[in-house]
Amino acid sequence: MQRAKTIENLPTSVDAQRDAVLRAQRTMGKIILGKDEQISLALACLLARGHLLIEDLPGLGKTILAQSLARTLGLTFRRIQFTSDMLPADIIGVSVFRQDSGKFEFQPGPVFSQLVLADEVNRATPKAQSALLEAMEEYQVSVDGETRPLPKPFFVVATQNPGDQIGTFPLPESQLDRFLMRVAIGYPDETSEREIIAGDDRRQLLDDIEAAMAPETLVELQKAVRKQHVSAALIDYVQALVRHTRESADIEIGLSPRGAQALVAAARARSFIENHSGVYPDDIQAVFASVAGHRLKPAGSTRFRSPSELCQHVLDSVAIP
Amino acid sequence: MRAQPRGTDGSLLVSLPWTIGALGVSLAPHVPYLALWISAAVVGCAAWRYIIEKRRGILPSRWVRGGLALVCFLGVFGTYSAISGVGPGSALLAIMAAMKLLETRKRRDQFVLLFISIFLVMSSLLREQYLWSLPYLLISTLIILTAWLRMSAEKSETAKQSFATGGRLLLYAAPLAIAMWVFFPRLATPFWAVPIDTSQATSGLSDTMSPGDISSLSMSDAVAFRVRFDDEIPDSRDRYWRGLVLTRFNGRTWTGSEPRIDSSALQQIAARGDPVSYEITMEPTRQQWVFAMEMPADWSLERTFMGPQQQLSRVTPIEQRIAYKVVSYPDYVLQSELSSLARQWYTSVPENGNERTRDLARAMRSDAGSDTAFIDAVLAKFHEEQYFYTLQPPALGSDPVDRFLFDTRQGFCEHYASAFAFMMRSVGIPSRVVLGYQGGEVNPMGGHLIVRQSDAHAWTEVWLERYGWYRVDPTSAVAPERIEYGARGAAIDGVGVGWGFTAPSKLLQQLTMTWDVLNAKWNEWVLGYGPDTQKGFMEWLGMSDPSWRKMLLTLVISVVSLILVISGLMMLRCRAPAKDRASVLYDRFVKKAGLERRTGETALEYARRAKSHGTIPESTVSSVTVAYLDARYGPDDDGALGRLKHAVAAIRVRATA
Repeated sequence: MQRAKTIENLPTSVDAQRDAVLRAQRTMGKIILGKDEQISLALACLLARGHLLIEDLPGLGKTILAQSLARTLGLTFRRIQFTSDMLPADIIGVSVFRQDSGKFEFQPGPVFSQLVLADEVNRATPKAQSALLEAMEEYQVSVDGETRPLPKPFFVVATQNPGDQIGTFPLPESQLDRFLMRVAIGYPDETSEREIIAGDDRRQLLDDIEAAMAPETLVELQKAVRKQHVSAALIDYVQALVRHTRESADIEIGLSPRGAQALVAAARARSFIENHSGVYPDDIQAVFASVAGHRLKPAGSTRFRSPSELCQHVLDSVAIP
Repeated sequence: MRAQPRGTDGSLLVSLPWTIGALGVSLAPHVPYLALWISAAVVGCAAWRYIIEKRRGILPSRWVRGGLALVCFLGVFGTYSAISGVGPGSALLAIMAAMKLLETRKRRDQFVLLFISIFLVMSSLLREQYLWSLPYLLISTLIILTAWLRMSAEKSETAKQSFATGGRLLLYAAPLAIAMWVFFPRLATPFWAVPIDTSQATSGLSDTMSPGDISSLSMSDAVAFRVRFDDEIPDSRDRYWRGLVLTRFNGRTWTGSEPRIDSSALQQIAARGDPVSYEITMEPTRQQWVFAMEMPADWSLERTFMGPQQQLSRVTPIEQRIAYKVVSYPDYVLQSELSSLARQWYTSVPENGNERTRDLARAMRSDAGSDTAFIDAVLAKFHEEQYFYTLQPPALGSDPVDRFLFDTRQGFCEHYASAFAFMMRSVGIPSRVVLGYQGGEVNPMGGHLIVRQSDAHAWTEVWLERYGWYRVDPTSAVAPERIEYGARGAAIDGVGVGWGFTAPSKLLQQLTMTWDVLNAKWNEWVLGYGPDTQKGFMEWLGMSDPSWRKMLLTLVISVVSLILVISGLMMLRCRAPAKDRASVLYDRFVKKAGLERRTGETALEYARRAKSHGTIPESTVSSVTVAYLDARYGPDDDGALGRLKHAVAAIRVRATA
């Protein structure tokens, strides 16, 4: 019933929903200064029903970004600090024997919340990592032979320090693929940094945030995003990009069809936020680096130092049909 | 900081393997003819150069290169004692290419290398132009073209794409090449003479015969000649292809005389029965002997004469494939009169040696009573006693005839012919040995006869009163199948069974035959496309009285029109696929804005640039861009296209300041 209502009210309610997104964007912009692009990407990722990987050095605001996302979107939030001695049960939960009832009772783990922040996901062993990654893929967990659905919506925002730090287990390529986007935060510009140093503690500011929307709105938004128009001309462009990644001498492994799907899904969300009449090549370009960056394997001989540089080169060498 | 002129930076790693590969392919047909050290030097230099590039090392200095070049030049001179000609020429080219590799730093150096490669490919045609030369030429040219394209390729272009482009270029060039080949006037006398590499012996018949020295009967499948008969192909037992005649025997070796003309030889042939006419296409032998079926009475080859023993030979060695027509009489009487001097010559044997054979011959002759009966008795001895036809007989040592007849009893045609002729001479019957080919294989597809090196044969002629020189083939008494089915059949029976082979499958047989037909056609149509064939072809095309002027004119006209047609096709190909209306309109806007669109630049980015460029008012830029994006990327809606049309039509180019 609710679904039918949404479609009927689409023209007006879509604008209202978009307003909610813009409100969320503005709110987050007050907490994370000078990172509008990253905020927009993170929101687009969630609107496209994708999980988000934030990768950068410590202290650049990875956790704050995840927390503010949860707050502004009004989602139940749990944080899992990944450590090397972590077990899958620490994430999923465990069955406990109750003496009074004489039965096992399932104690849900932190994964049973709408937004899960997997902090420093590359610190845990692959075993613990895969427990989370399975939940991300299936939207459910199996404990003691029983399948338990996860709440809706369900997002994982994982943060990780770049893999070359000591004592980490970098996620394998196949698991990186489960994240729709990988976003690096980077250092703030000078003005923003000045404000951060001088201003209040960012974590305190978090407490004052009001949710910009209800979780139901988010689900509706996600549905609206999927209706964003994709024209044949745009598919031509996506195909040209994908073909280029497969044929380029700089890239060893190009984008898979699933990667192309992810690209279009993320671009749809971005196009929705930007209020475009359909998905434009600009939307594809805006999300390309974060969607494709962790899915491409650069060739050993490549002259590009970072994935984003490589992605920019791809965009610069493929003509828009 | 001074630039390091000899350093490498790995930038050639993409194209260098291709250049080296192209060089390798172009050198391949020369390798069997080149001295081993030259091939080794080329491989060494290529590997050295590649490793330098891989390790970002530095190239050898000018002095090292100069020294190496001098050493190699002297090496070539020392090996060939010449620097001109196909052999030393290709050796020098190969060495030069290897040296050039060592100073290859830039694209220009690689161009030079690829030029040398093309030159090497073409120069391989000076040696041989077989059927497989055509696919070789195509493939090697394609590889060189690919290497060429790899050098100038953008980073993003894959090898596969370069290869495809190379193939396309080659396809475009093919009609031009064919037109050139067809219409370029062929002259009866070539412009230049190619110095032929004579150091390389081709398989052919040897001028002497020493059974027992080396047991080598050619099992080579190489074609000696092909024959096309005007009428039916004669029986295998009549197909004796006369080559040279050996008349002297020193107890071990039979030798003939140098080719010389004998005007009376032709008159000695008294033809009986009907003539057989045919055309022979003979592979080069580098010898003077010209083969014809016994007994030739007329032949079309120039500067060819008949020797005193009815052997045909040409004044100059046969260096190239030749075709000639012959008329032969399979039924003949040869030289019914023999002078006493000649009789003495044809019965002479060494003073001593091979005593057992002499005794045997004398005993058999007195038992037989007549010369003919004696011949029959000797043949019967070969047939009935334990004599074997084998291609790998044991070596014979001294008194080879004795050893063969009494001890080993194994041999092939040469052994039997030699023993037989010696026995004849021992009792005073004039005899001589004829070398040539026997039989040949009919190609059912082409309808012609293939005579291979493995069909080489030796038989004897004995002179009998009233009969003249009469052909006796002692091998047929031992191994009749050799005569009936040819050497291949006999050899397969004799050798194959021992090794556990079975007869070749029918399919293989068919493949061999098809390949042979292709070869024959290649020889006939491609290599045989000389002045006469060309004239005939031009007349067939409808050109009356073809002269070289007319052909040259036709060539120019057809090449020019082909170039026009091909470039027209290429233009059609390069035209972008039909665009939709929105992007046609947008292109018009871009043209009016006077600002080139960058690769990968979106409409919104372009709009920003166009606004700051200022040719078109900002509001127009915005309205066009929005309408374009809506029309092209938005939901299907004719309204957006209408707006775009309207907006583009309304563009007023602002006069630039």
